[in-house]
Amino acid sequence: MKNRRFLSGLYLVLVALFLYLPIGTLMVLSFNSGKSMSSWQGFSLKWYQEMFSNQEIMHALGNTFTIALWSASIATVIGVLACIALNRMNERKRSFFLGLNNIPMLNADIVTGISIMMMFIMFGISLNYGTVLFSHITFCIPYVILSVMPKFRQLQNMTYEAALDLGATPVYAFFKIVLPDLMPGILSGFMLSFTMSVDDFVITHFTRGAGIDTLSTLIYSQLKVGVRPTMYAISTVIFIIVLLILVVSNVLTSDKVKKKKKDDYKVSARFTGKRLFASTAVFVILMGLCVYYTVSVGKTDSGSSTVYVYNFGDYIDPDLVSEFEEETGYSVVMDYFDTNEEMYPVIKNKTADYDVICASDYMIEKMIGENLLEPIDFRNVPNAEYLTSGIRSVVEDFDPGMKYCIPHTWGTYGIAYNKSLIDDETLRLMESGEISWKILWDKKYEGQIVMTNSLREAYMVAAEILGYSINTTDEKQVSEMTDLLIEQKPLVYAYANDNCRDLMIGGSAALGVITSGDVLYARDANSDIGYAVPVEGTEVWTDCWAVPASVGNREGAYAWLDFLLSEEAAEKNFEYIQYAIPNTQLPDFSGDPVLSPSESVLAKCETLKNLGTEGDDLYSRYWKKAKDNK
Amino acid sequence: MKKLYSAPFIAFILIGTIIPTCVVAYYGFTSRDGGFTFDNIAAIATAEHAKALCLSLLLSFAATLICFMIAFPLGVILRNSKLGQKRFIIFLFILPMWMNFVLRTMAWQVLLEKHGVINMMLESIGLPGLSIINTPAAVILGMVYDYLPFMVLPIYNSLSRIDESVIEAAYDLGADKSLVLRKIMLPLSVPGIVSGITMVFVPSLTTFAISNMLGGGKVNLIGNIIEQEFTTSSNWNLGSGLSLIMMVFIVLSMALISRFDKNGEGNLL
Repeated sequence: MKNRRFLSGLYLVLVALFLYLPIGTLMVLSFNSGKSMSSWQGFSLKWYQEMFSNQEIMHALGNTFTIALWSASIATVIGVLACIALNRMNERKRSFFLGLNNIPMLNADIVTGISIMMMFIMFGISLNYGTVLFSHITFCIPYVILSVMPKFRQLQNMTYEAALDLGATPVYAFFKIVLPDLMPGILSGFMLSFTMSVDDFVITHFTRGAGIDTLSTLIYSQLKVGVRPTMYAISTVIFIIVLLILVVSNVLTSDKVKKKKKDDYKVSARFTGKRLFASTAVFVILMGLCVYYTVSVGKTDSGSSTVYVYNFGDYIDPDLVSEFEEETGYSVVMDYFDTNEEMYPVIKNKTADYDVICASDYMIEKMIGENLLEPIDFRNVPNAEYLTSGIRSVVEDFDPGMKYCIPHTWGTYGIAYNKSLIDDETLRLMESGEISWKILWDKKYEGQIVMTNSLREAYMVAAEILGYSINTTDEKQVSEMTDLLIEQKPLVYAYANDNCRDLMIGGSAALGVITSGDVLYARDANSDIGYAVPVEGTEVWTDCWAVPASVGNREGAYAWLDFLLSEEAAEKNFEYIQYAIPNTQLPDFSGDPVLSPSESVLAKCETLKNLGTEGDDLYSRYWKKAKDNK
Repeated sequence: MKKLYSAPFIAFILIGTIIPTCVVAYYGFTSRDGGFTFDNIAAIATAEHAKALCLSLLLSFAATLICFMIAFPLGVILRNSKLGQKRFIIFLFILPMWMNFVLRTMAWQVLLEKHGVINMMLESIGLPGLSIINTPAAVILGMVYDYLPFMVLPIYNSLSRIDESVIEAAYDLGADKSLVLRKIMLPLSVPGIVSGITMVFVPSLTTFAISNMLGGGKVNLIGNIIEQEFTTSSNWNLGSGLSLIMMVFIVLSMALISRFDKNGEGNLL
């Protein structure tokens, strides 16, 4: 008997360990002074300080909780009403509606999110706070119904009828008799909806509009440049608060339950009287705050003095935003995306209106071709004179004459290597710049290679080896490159974009395809890491600012562009993102292979071009073959 | 008046579920230039898509099975122990959801990495390291981790509702522990098991985030393909077509499973 109890105790502990191990890891990482997930660089509280001073995080926090509170409350009311109605229906009708109720739960999140987004776009409704709220209510209702419905079935009609017999009105009897019995179900439905809403990422991601970021979308948009540990810090704080609330309420109620155990009826009565009053009061106060917040969000979002910026996540020093606001008097609403392809439909379908966007070279070219961008009037951007001549020649490739865009950051693709994990011969080639991309096909590095997971860059590597243009749309060449990529597959440790750097830092991989922008960061965390641009040549990329044709606040957009080219902004951004910034006011980096590739290297570089729908389809068809499971 | 109670619910079902599903169907059956076509549906037959769907089915089946194998004994233990206070159990399993989903899954990367936390621990006590990161096994682990609560809660719920006197009667009639488990506990918890299976199988079948983060880009599931069509390839028509196929598979498997739970009694809490 004792043995058995020990075993079941052990089992419980193991399951709990499994559930809480990752959470503990994140908590520990929130105190890491370094930015990387894969190496511990000493204890620090700096992320906690940064978190409270970061407007965006606080804003996202506000959005997350108001959306959750609104959607859980509305869904609870709708769900309970629906249960009352369903309960009166006959069996067939009821199971029909319950079946419909199951659809949102059975649907993949991604399908739910995308389908709601496509519906809004089809009917010309622009995405905003309301659309996110709507979709959250939609997916919360089923949870409420599933929690409340069984309580209805356990309900005994006798007490309700007795109350009516004693002269209670149906409404009075409902609130006095029925509701208290339903309360546990309602509460758990509410809590579950609230939790789901806070935790949701996919649906919010597709249905949000300008200025609406929740913690989840903020975290996801940072994947491109690496999630900042402030996110671990804020999650840790939330987690601890919820833990405390739950522990306290658990201790309080379990005492009461013990006292009242003998009198079963009274257990459900605990939701009447004073407690009901107290919890209603708390709830009303919370809702009041929530209304205040939502209204104030609405206020700051309107007006012509706001500049709407659409940017890659964590791609600018957040301090600069408040400095810009102080200097110019505009207020800034900044939203984030993770990839160009995510940004494109938003601008194209005008689901949200932005004044300035950030995009990569090939996307700029595509958008110019589709008349989605407005030419920049450079007389209003005097600081543009500080752009380096090197970057001007690169921009020629996708925006001849630099009419539509202003470069923000730029760099090359190359191979990152870990000195301690490669042999001397490879190291020599790397350091002398004679290395070939073929090293990524070398069997001696089997299981130690990180290949890029981005379609165009993966084909770029193959094209350089085979001597094709990185913009070829010849099906035979694409198919040949695909074969090469398939051949490489068994050697690859992981296909990764954003976390290549972390895999390199942690020593999981010896070689990795990386963008030069990530190298400084990786080198800071692990001094063994080096970077080389292979002899065959490579891709040079530029991320630029541009003004969409649907711009609302043109002056604000120009002020933003000019501000970012100022010496102070360039310096701060360089320190923050650690990507090369093509501004002549920064120290001269020429000769540094990471920050400023030499003329001879640049001569071998190409920029990615927009391939058109057919070209894109061709590549995406073959890429799926390359990535196919064995 | 009373009929109006269900009006907001029906409105949300209509606008939030049915119309969007029709929009997906519209995109799924049209080509980019707007003409009617079956191509997007037929695309499932191509090798890459079919294999991805098979792998998704396989992995989500495995994840569901493992979840069940963990959750059922857990449910029995919790039911019999004094710990079995309902609030505590719900608390234990809902709490992890308060750590963001993306971060929670990312944390497994740190744990499972070649020189990650788990391997360091294993190596320090002289055991060989695990190398499951970037394999289907890691994806299954991620699925089990993320969706285990959805299996535990309904099973525990069903088990805790079994009348103690039924079990006592079985013992009185001479049944031993394993017989009680097989003949009483298991059949009476079927509604919970069914709803647990649904709540684990469906999100596992459709996930793309878990396979992206823990599969190292080497595990290509149907969810990943659909996500790529909607995001990087910007081919909404093909994405919608494949989503429709996925929905059909979900409905089929649910129809199969729900035959075991005719009354629809299983529920989460």
